[in-house]
Amino acid sequence: MNVVEIGGILLILMMLLLSGGVWIAMSLAMIGWVGMTFFTSKSAEQISQTLFSALWESNASWELAALPMFIWMGEILFRTRLSEQMFEGLSPWLNRIPGRLMHTTILGCGIFGSVSGSSAATTATIAKVALPELLRRGYDERMALGSLATAGTLGILIPPSITMVVYAVAADASIIRIFLAGFIPGFILMALFSGYIVWWSIRHPDKVPAADADLSFAEKLRRSGSLIPCTLLIVFIVWVLIAGWATATECAAYGVLGSLLIAASSRSLNWQNFRDSLMGATRVSCMIMFILAGAAFLTKTMAFTGIPRALAEWVASLALSPIALIAVLAVLYIILGTALDGISMIVLTAAVVLPMIQQAGIDLIWFGIFIVLLVEIAEVTPPVGFNLFVLQNMTGKDSNTIARAALPFFGCLVVLIGLISVFPSLVTWFPDYVMGVAK
Amino acid sequence: MRRFLDRLYDAAGYLAAFFIFAIFASMLATTTMRELGMRTGGWEDIVSWLTAAAAFLGLAHTFRFGDMVRVELLLSKMSPPRRRIFEIACLLIGSVFMAYLAYSATAYVYQSWLGGDVAGGLLVVPIWIPQASFVIGSWLFFIALVDELINVLRGDRPVYVRAAEERHARGDFSEDV
Repeated sequence: MNVVEIGGILLILMMLLLSGGVWIAMSLAMIGWVGMTFFTSKSAEQISQTLFSALWESNASWELAALPMFIWMGEILFRTRLSEQMFEGLSPWLNRIPGRLMHTTILGCGIFGSVSGSSAATTATIAKVALPELLRRGYDERMALGSLATAGTLGILIPPSITMVVYAVAADASIIRIFLAGFIPGFILMALFSGYIVWWSIRHPDKVPAADADLSFAEKLRRSGSLIPCTLLIVFIVWVLIAGWATATECAAYGVLGSLLIAASSRSLNWQNFRDSLMGATRVSCMIMFILAGAAFLTKTMAFTGIPRALAEWVASLALSPIALIAVLAVLYIILGTALDGISMIVLTAAVVLPMIQQAGIDLIWFGIFIVLLVEIAEVTPPVGFNLFVLQNMTGKDSNTIARAALPFFGCLVVLIGLISVFPSLVTWFPDYVMGVAK
Repeated sequence: MRRFLDRLYDAAGYLAAFFIFAIFASMLATTTMRELGMRTGGWEDIVSWLTAAAAFLGLAHTFRFGDMVRVELLLSKMSPPRRRIFEIACLLIGSVFMAYLAYSATAYVYQSWLGGDVAGGLLVVPIWIPQASFVIGSWLFFIALVDELINVLRGDRPVYVRAAEERHARGDFSEDV
């Protein structure tokens, strides 16, 4: 049996298991088992031993310890008053810009994204405060929903990002480089979102309510004081990192420390919140690490069957230009994203796609950002865009309505993917500047 | 029996949470010690074992909470009777696989216990001690799957579906990445 047939059989089996609802982590490991049992010459004992060591080695990892820390940090901040403070601090400054308070969704999500690594949590946190405030003042509901759904995905583009940690582990790339690479695309994306809001507001002046009474400059500054805790936290984490006090993995623990301090200072740190955040972080980490473990075993099987190498060589023989390869992969990920969540999508394809990428001479860090952007797209596309689901639950609006509202902002994401494909240095320049060019 | 099992899963979950807290504490401790010029050799091994232990011991608890991700695209569109059949099939497949995994882990760790294998890093510790978390966690997860299989066969809706629905109804999305 040749490699194509083996690959085809495993692929069909995987689709059956996944679409039938078998938990993703287990499906991955099971496909690994089938591949190894039927398509390699390994004995049953060797297989069970490989299964054990693949799962153990993938989870008993010092690098991976950053994952529960970043998740816990987000869980703590989710339970503080941070988002209310952000709205208070940002809104006085936006009165004169076309679109006014509508920009709080973009800025709020961007700032919260720089302390949280999850887009569902970012969307939920900012929407909880901004949505009622905007609607009460008479802002256009469609714009508010669309911008929140899409800007919430900044949570995984602006570091720290759970999705990036998972990619770094799966691709064996540097976590800190990928984090740094996310900044510039993150800022560009925020500018694109805000730019669209400005353009829309100028065209529809009747749909933007009048400004709140203008405050004195001193009053504005005083209100912005509520932005201090969040700013301090960001500065604190970056400082710990740059001062060489902690590595990228360890600075996650300082993020937790900072978040606990913020929670304590806003009096939202009690035993109940502490316990809930820790238990929540435990469950999310456990879920992700189990997927990584299942995928680690599948990756070993893949290496034994030779499928990724054959595929990489086949793609190389097509002599596609990098842009064409990127376009094909973008379509593939958009299709996968209609059914899978971002983390499963990355982990599932890493074993097969990454050799291909390296063969084609595409930078792994750049590809990480590219995948994160595609995951963001997946989160705002029906039928299973998770951010749509979050807003549907919060507002009772149908998720297709929200998806249509998000369409222009979705366009901004597509523009950004185009931009980084044409100018890859938008992604790679900043990490190279800070850390020196990778060897 | 119901109470005992629930407490068992939760106890393992709390232990996993404690290990995550321990990762946090040891990272703060080691970075501080390093600044003070103290040696921190071996801590990296301990942190990596804590990470693995948290991952494996939390499985059963996470599963029952509905946090274990799966593709729900088709499941969510099925009629209740058909969905029940699929849930039973998934639980059955899952149980068989976890039995195999738990058995593999047990056999392997038992052998390294017999052979007196020690960890390869800086710490000279019998490797079966950290790896015991894998054995215990995977057996607990197996028990949780069989437990739920029996409940669904008896006619209950799966506990992981109910838990996720309740959480989302409260507007709590903190556990969705």
